[in-house]
Amino acid sequence: MSNMPIDRLQKWSKAGHRTAMAESLELLASEMPEMCTITADLTPTARLTKFKERYPDRFFDVGIAEQNLIDFSAGLAKEGILPFAVALAAMVPMRPAEQMRAALGYMNLNAKVIGFEAGVRFGPLGNTHYAMDDIAVARAIPNFTIISPSDPLQIYKTIFAAAEHDGPFYIRLTGGPGFPVLYPEDFDFQIGKAIEYRPGNDVAFISTGSLLGEAIGAADILQSKGISARVVDMHTIKPLDTNILDKVFAQNKLIVTVEEHTSIGGLGGAVAEYKSRFENTPKQVMASLGDKFQKLGSYEFLLKENGLTAPDLVALAETNL
Amino acid sequence: MVNQKLVEIIQDKAALMRRDVIEMGYAAGGHGAHFGPALSSIEIVASLFFEIMHHDSGNPRMAERDRFVLSKGHACLAYYAALVETGYITKEQMYTFKGDNSFLSGHPSLNIKYGLEVSTGSLGNGLAIACGMAKAAKIKKENHKVYCVVGDGECNAGIIWEAAMNGAKNKLDNLVAIIDRNGVQLAGKTSEIMDFDIEAAWKAFGWEVFVLTKGNDASSMLEALEKMKNSNSGKPHMIIADTVKGKGISFMEDSLSWHARPMEQEQYEQAVSDLENAFTGGN
Repeated sequence: MSNMPIDRLQKWSKAGHRTAMAESLELLASEMPEMCTITADLTPTARLTKFKERYPDRFFDVGIAEQNLIDFSAGLAKEGILPFAVALAAMVPMRPAEQMRAALGYMNLNAKVIGFEAGVRFGPLGNTHYAMDDIAVARAIPNFTIISPSDPLQIYKTIFAAAEHDGPFYIRLTGGPGFPVLYPEDFDFQIGKAIEYRPGNDVAFISTGSLLGEAIGAADILQSKGISARVVDMHTIKPLDTNILDKVFAQNKLIVTVEEHTSIGGLGGAVAEYKSRFENTPKQVMASLGDKFQKLGSYEFLLKENGLTAPDLVALAETNL
Repeated sequence: MVNQKLVEIIQDKAALMRRDVIEMGYAAGGHGAHFGPALSSIEIVASLFFEIMHHDSGNPRMAERDRFVLSKGHACLAYYAALVETGYITKEQMYTFKGDNSFLSGHPSLNIKYGLEVSTGSLGNGLAIACGMAKAAKIKKENHKVYCVVGDGECNAGIIWEAAMNGAKNKLDNLVAIIDRNGVQLAGKTSEIMDFDIEAAWKAFGWEVFVLTKGNDASSMLEALEKMKNSNSGKPHMIIADTVKGKGISFMEDSLSWHARPMEQEQYEQAVSDLENAFTGGN
């Protein structure tokens, strides 16, 4: 792995996850001659213009054709090229779900799918452009690894970890311009191993994606009120880190799962599925986008509307403790 | 002109493959099998495996092998029959078709050691994947070709046309696709289900198109494949081969009812009898 891009983190934070992704892919390309990036008429939107200029022989555009994006990637992967297929999370994995299943999952091919602008950050563009169900779709496909990184450096580490892991991958990107740097220094990152961001024995916030910042904010507020909150960065949604869940089940009184996804089939669903095997586990409540299409509004409006800001998480925890 | 001796060899291999198709399909019992779409494509697959493609059943992972993708995956019996007759699969394994825990499912499943290159069955996707494989060969500066058999009904699928655009854009002249135009799909004639000018469509999408009116004639098929294999037109190649659904079995030919179904003993005996007359005696 190249030197950690610590000097870029503030820039990536300010610019948002697309820039962090695109520059991470450039750094990866400089080290891995067999990797390529493919997109679906999204070059400027995905901040991939520089990648295209620097690596014209390793950059492909299939046009507005997400199914073909996945099948083309499958064919390349089948023959030893390492494709990163980049598209809006609102369009992958839902539109090419069947290609992800029949080509990437079934053949267990070494191709990586990146869905950017996951969740509801496209606010004013409306529900066609929200990715609220992408985790549920990808989770249902065997062989897929799913990671939703929480901050700029974790995006970089996820992309490099995906490149080194043999098998299909879905990387779900959240966090717009100004999303916080939560890992300012290098840190230990392993696929399938959650990070205990903060210890605590009352409530446990189990979060995925850039909402980790809200969960940490909630833990801070609770601490000032004398309530101890554990914060778990569950970057890998599949395979789920059951070791940390076992610890939470044993030590915490309440679980709050935090995700920018519907209440069905996402992180909350995954935790509930695992938890259902055991007796005497803590109550779980889900902070999520619920099971509904959203009202139109800014990202900030939609987070509040769905109870996903730090003060909302505090209220949810206090109500249920 | 194609060497007559070679034509006779392909004809005899085609006859053996048809017999394997019947054996496997009959062995599947009540599960039934896609007889019609396999039998129409036999000359395509036989010509590829016994003459056109560079491959070695003793070395199935050989990097320079030509790649075969059966996009119309439901015609897997033709593919399996070729793998049996070229030594990738034993006769004993052949009879496990559709059986519990067999690797020979009703649609091909990736298994390189048995010559099964790509999992297909979800129609349209095989061609799109084949484009990726052909592109990979170009990127890696490898000279092998990718051959892909497509159904005419399969051309209803949108992904086929996404692949068509992509193949032309990437100038994949190392890709040879063959449409097995047998004119019949699951629920009826292709002309009734979704009628369009398939030849004009492929030309409009930028492919080098060759229409072969005698798609079950080994000599014509060999000639067409040889021509497309050696064409460096900068375009992907498409042979549209007119074939007969259920070719070679009297009661299946051009039949709407033999797309996929179980075979009774009487029908099996009739099919075997039909095939006994198909050998040239030259091999």
